[in-house]
Amino acid sequence: MLPPSSGIGQFAATSAKVIRFVRAGCTNRPFYHIVVAERRREQFEPVIEQVGSYDPMPNANNEKLVSLNLERISYWIGNGAGCSGPVEELLGLAGYFPIHPRSYMTAWRNRRKADEEAAAKEKADDSNEEKSETSSSV
Amino acid sequence: MAAFRYFSKKLLSSTLKTDIRAPVSNNYVVCVRLLSYTPMPYDGNPDPGPIFIKKEVQTLLTTLTRVDLAKVYRKRKLGGRQLEQPVYKFMTDEQLQEALDEAKRKVDEILQIPPVVAVRKPRDKVVSRDPALQGLDSSNYIFTDISYGVPDSERIILVRDTEGTLRDADWATRDRINQMYFPVARRQVTPPKMFEDDKLDDLLKRGEYNFILDRACLQFEPNDEFYQKVCSVTYQHINENNKFEDIRSTRHFGSFAFFIAWHKMIDNLLLDLIESEHIDEANALVELYAQLHGEKFRGNSIEEYIGKFSTKKAALELALQAYKNAAKQKHALEEGIKRAHGLN
Repeated sequence: MLPPSSGIGQFAATSAKVIRFVRAGCTNRPFYHIVVAERRREQFEPVIEQVGSYDPMPNANNEKLVSLNLERISYWIGNGAGCSGPVEELLGLAGYFPIHPRSYMTAWRNRRKADEEAAAKEKADDSNEEKSETSSSV
Repeated sequence: MAAFRYFSKKLLSSTLKTDIRAPVSNNYVVCVRLLSYTPMPYDGNPDPGPIFIKKEVQTLLTTLTRVDLAKVYRKRKLGGRQLEQPVYKFMTDEQLQEALDEAKRKVDEILQIPPVVAVRKPRDKVVSRDPALQGLDSSNYIFTDISYGVPDSERIILVRDTEGTLRDADWATRDRINQMYFPVARRQVTPPKMFEDDKLDDLLKRGEYNFILDRACLQFEPNDEFYQKVCSVTYQHINENNKFEDIRSTRHFGSFAFFIAWHKMIDNLLLDLIESEHIDEANALVELYAQLHGEKFRGNSIEEYIGKFSTKKAALELALQAYKNAAKQKHALEEGIKRAHGLN
């Protein structure tokens, strides 16, 4: 059963809090809750509060849906809560934080990979054409 | 457009009468093409909203709706839903009266006219452009602010697209996302297929006006361009085919009357009202026309309207004359009866 989004986790006033993902999907179907929890807790222990959700699988319109309760996120960050890396990246893309450096890194690595693949494909096509030309001339 | 359609119909009927076979088929083709209506959304120029919520206009629209309790509490199609078991009660006369009053009070709620407003403006605000994010992902991200207490229309919904641009989501996406996170009961995430052109045509031919308008009301926001297109086509179909009785005493009649008065095509309804001797409603309709277009009629407003603005002058004048004759005869008859009873 899902815990309520208001959370049922016990927490100390002075403990370190973190905003992070909790995996809530099933096998081969990831889905994440974005929650506030104590840093020392395990992933599936009761959380302090749920503040959003993230569906990493694109829907029929090729969209990844992210919901964020920005009011509560602001509250918890104001109270000294930190964010996990993936959450920082998401908030960066949402325009709430500056863009995370890792987003830029992933982007240019993907671009480089795509360029390399395109170049390799071009090369392979060229060599194929040459082969066919030589075979036809023979 | 309407006038053109009217004349083409006339032309068709006259050719049929003279029994010339060859051009009939040609005319038929023309007529079929004319049967499709041009959607006429309120483009906000001028904005109909402030005029629609004026108290005088609302009163006129309520008058035109002609509340009939038997029709308001009619049997309805429920689709797959089950009816609740009725509760039978013994009541004293006072309790019965109270229950009836309660039912009458509920009528206002049931017959609340869907608001008439201008079409919403497209959203194309760009928050930031960051081409360095190209290649990060092959799909768009949609970020929704789900903070409590924010109305659907003001909720922050942003799209980070594959080019790295962060922009405001367009209206169609907003509707979809709002329905996903904050569902309205029985509204669908994707609009039902019945609003597609060919299916809508079929529904219109079958005269399912209430079905179309109710469903459109549920599915779309009143300032949605698509909603206004569907409604305008339906209203035009009703107006052309004189099916006013189908939507009378429903919440849609007010919007319909406003629509035809706004686009200056009240002649069919006016003729219908005069022929059925609802002269106060005819007056209300002409008054509505005057309110919307800033006209002022002195004396007999119907006659003045027919003289100045009507496109079906002959038919309307004839109907009005017939009404007057009937009224005169009725009056004379009543006088005669009174005299016979020795009341004068």
